[in-house]
Amino acid sequence: MKILLAEDDFATRKFMDKQLSQYGECDVMVDGEEAVDAFMMALEDDEPYDLVCLDVMMPVMDGYQVLKAIRGIEAQRGIPKKNSVKVIMTTALNDERNVKLAFELGCEAYVGKPIDVEKFEKVLNKLGLI
Amino acid sequence: MAEEFNTDSMFSMFLFESSQLLEKLEGIILEKQDAECFDDADINEIFRVMHTIKGSSGVMMYENITKVAHKLEDVFYYLRESHPEDVPHLELVEKVLAVSDFITAELEKLKNGEASDGDESKLVEDLDEFLGQIKGEIKKQGIRLPKANKQEEPTQFYVKPVAEEDSHFYKVVIHYRNDTQMSNIRAYSATYALKEVAEDLLYTPEDILSNEASGDVILAEGFHMLLQTKISKEEVLELIDSSEAEKIDFEEINAEQYGKELVELGREVAPVVINLDDGVKPAKDDKPAPGDYVVKSKDPGKGKTLAKHQPKQQSIISVNVEKMDALMDLIGELVIAEATVLQNPDLKVPGLDLTNFQKAASQLAMNTTELQQVIMSMRMMPLTNTFQKMKRIVFDVSRKLDKDIEFEVIGENTEVDKNIIEHISDPLMHLVRNSVDHGIEEDANERIMLGKPAKGKITLEAKNEGGKVYISVRDDGKGLNAEKLYEKAAEKGLIDNKPMSDFTEKEIYRFIALPGFSTKEQVTEYSGRGVGMDVVVKNIQAIGGRLDIDSVLGAGSEMTLVIPLTLAIINGIVVQVGNSPFVLETSSIKQFVRMTQDSLVQEPGGEEYVVLRGEYYPFIRLNEKYDLQDACSNVDDGIVVVLEHEGKQICVLIDKLLQQQEIVVKPIPSYIKKVKGLSGCTQLGDGSIALILDIAGLIQDEERR
Repeated sequence: MKILLAEDDFATRKFMDKQLSQYGECDVMVDGEEAVDAFMMALEDDEPYDLVCLDVMMPVMDGYQVLKAIRGIEAQRGIPKKNSVKVIMTTALNDERNVKLAFELGCEAYVGKPIDVEKFEKVLNKLGLI
Repeated sequence: MAEEFNTDSMFSMFLFESSQLLEKLEGIILEKQDAECFDDADINEIFRVMHTIKGSSGVMMYENITKVAHKLEDVFYYLRESHPEDVPHLELVEKVLAVSDFITAELEKLKNGEASDGDESKLVEDLDEFLGQIKGEIKKQGIRLPKANKQEEPTQFYVKPVAEEDSHFYKVVIHYRNDTQMSNIRAYSATYALKEVAEDLLYTPEDILSNEASGDVILAEGFHMLLQTKISKEEVLELIDSSEAEKIDFEEINAEQYGKELVELGREVAPVVINLDDGVKPAKDDKPAPGDYVVKSKDPGKGKTLAKHQPKQQSIISVNVEKMDALMDLIGELVIAEATVLQNPDLKVPGLDLTNFQKAASQLAMNTTELQQVIMSMRMMPLTNTFQKMKRIVFDVSRKLDKDIEFEVIGENTEVDKNIIEHISDPLMHLVRNSVDHGIEEDANERIMLGKPAKGKITLEAKNEGGKVYISVRDDGKGLNAEKLYEKAAEKGLIDNKPMSDFTEKEIYRFIALPGFSTKEQVTEYSGRGVGMDVVVKNIQAIGGRLDIDSVLGAGSEMTLVIPLTLAIINGIVVQVGNSPFVLETSSIKQFVRMTQDSLVQEPGGEEYVVLRGEYYPFIRLNEKYDLQDACSNVDDGIVVVLEHEGKQICVLIDKLLQQQEIVVKPIPSYIKKVKGLSGCTQLGDGSIALILDIAGLIQDEERR
């Protein structure tokens, strides 16, 4: 499985990288724009990602913008819903309205920080990734 | 509703919404428990409630809740689609309540930070069986089974953040002494020392090394840190070099707050200035939007600054109750201070022109009154939820005991202080249970023989009257048997051998509130352990209330909780008797009359009565009662005041009227022995102390004589 991780905080990045690498190859980005670039590049090369993990508060573009961009690109390329990439938001913003916004923008899961590793795995399971 | 709370975290939102839905559900069920069946609107509503709970618990990944909700949704799906007849209504009601109980218990666990680990399999099995029964019924009635309820798996999930179990979250603010040199370097060494032990560390100002000016900011606003670590507060403090620190604010917070603070700290520290004059154009909607969370400048490991500054507009804030209490006390003091100014003896110099002063004074008086009303309303909540719970108790207990009982609720919209609501819930529950268990007759035939309807009736009533809240539980059952109560109390040695004639009936009824008293030989599951009533009385007394018991043998009994409203500012009239000022509550005064000696009647026992328009009223001379010197004892010289409380009237003799004013009721200090007929005291404008007459107490005292 190919995973894209966008996270600007060093400690979290390190932790998430370790965690996600158990399930597959993990590319790590430090800001939102890089994440969109990487996503695009993977599509171009016809090796799309299976999972994208997005922090919300990031430089250049925030997680919501990245999510919107990703769903936009997919729509433009006519990628059907069942083939679209699974997106998990990982953030310390746990207000209901933040979560709702992310759901409206089309993420698959919203995971609050600090991350509940056990449930995180359960989500991956439910999403059919592992 | 949801709009008002939308700044809450996703998790608390889930808890809140689900419990709201469950409450609604119980409301429907209990309203319709005695009906033949649910109507279409109810079925739809219950279906919708279960559907919503199923959905949201699915997103939150609480699978046991999802399964149970799903099953019940299924049941109501079939009811909705096929309208089968002969659905066993009571069984259905029980099933719904069982589900509601299960989910409530799970939510409670989650609320307490435990895992939702309740085993749903038994309940699901039960529901399955019931569903099968209904389906069979549908087939039998020749209605085609609808297509199976399509189950949509949730496609989006939310995972609540966890805190590692032994992680602590601290919010630390270091204030350095004003003359501290290079405070930015000191702050840096503090962060450096903490980095070793920190799992997460954020601080502001963040450019402490690169920007020398940050030192000034630190001196002015303090150095703010958010720290997640496994070590204790003491160890953290040891690591921070506090030699130049004037003060270190140290606060342990929970994971959720930490998350919030994390975001806050990221914001610019500049205070949010809200300009009230331009009416604060409310942001179109204060929902976040993509792009709101772009981080402007970023050094790994440091606080984040968001590019877009968004002042939050909150419609609800939660306030510490202690602060509210302090505010209330202050308002009380303010009212006293107001009186001290407006009735200052200095103003009584003859010939002063006070026209403008009086205008200003009436303005001030108006504002303080309004201020009181606002704070009162801030603390008020309707009793609706508490009463709803009682409905459930009556239903449960009456089913278990197999009694047929009608439950009536009056005045559930009565608003009382939130503090009171918290305190009366348990006592009220006891009273209601007692009424169902002991009050209503076991045997319906017994009722019919007494000429009462076979169905028992319990009435729960709340009302606001004269600054007090009355909540009464009334049943039309057996009533209390004074003789039996007396015997029992004597047998238990609770009343040291006084003859029964020493007590009034009401006093005997009150025996049931003595510790260790219970008339039922057989202890039932719900009441009768003899611990209930004395606890009830204790709880009620703790908030300054009392329990009144009234009963007619064979016709029923009534238990009334009488609780004062907490904000003790009353509108009163100050009167004088001898040299002592007294306060009478304005609302209890019926009239002032001048009387002559010949309208007085004296009984052989010494009690006096006045005859007023052909009616006899008990007459009290305050000067005799309280031993006051220099008061007028001649009715012709004084004024007679007719006072009323709960329909009973009494007359008191006073010397003269002084003024009308807002009175702040202060309790009589505990070092003074409880004096009958006085409910408190207050400070008057000239600084003297006035005693507040307790009309109810006076009347009671008079009746006892």
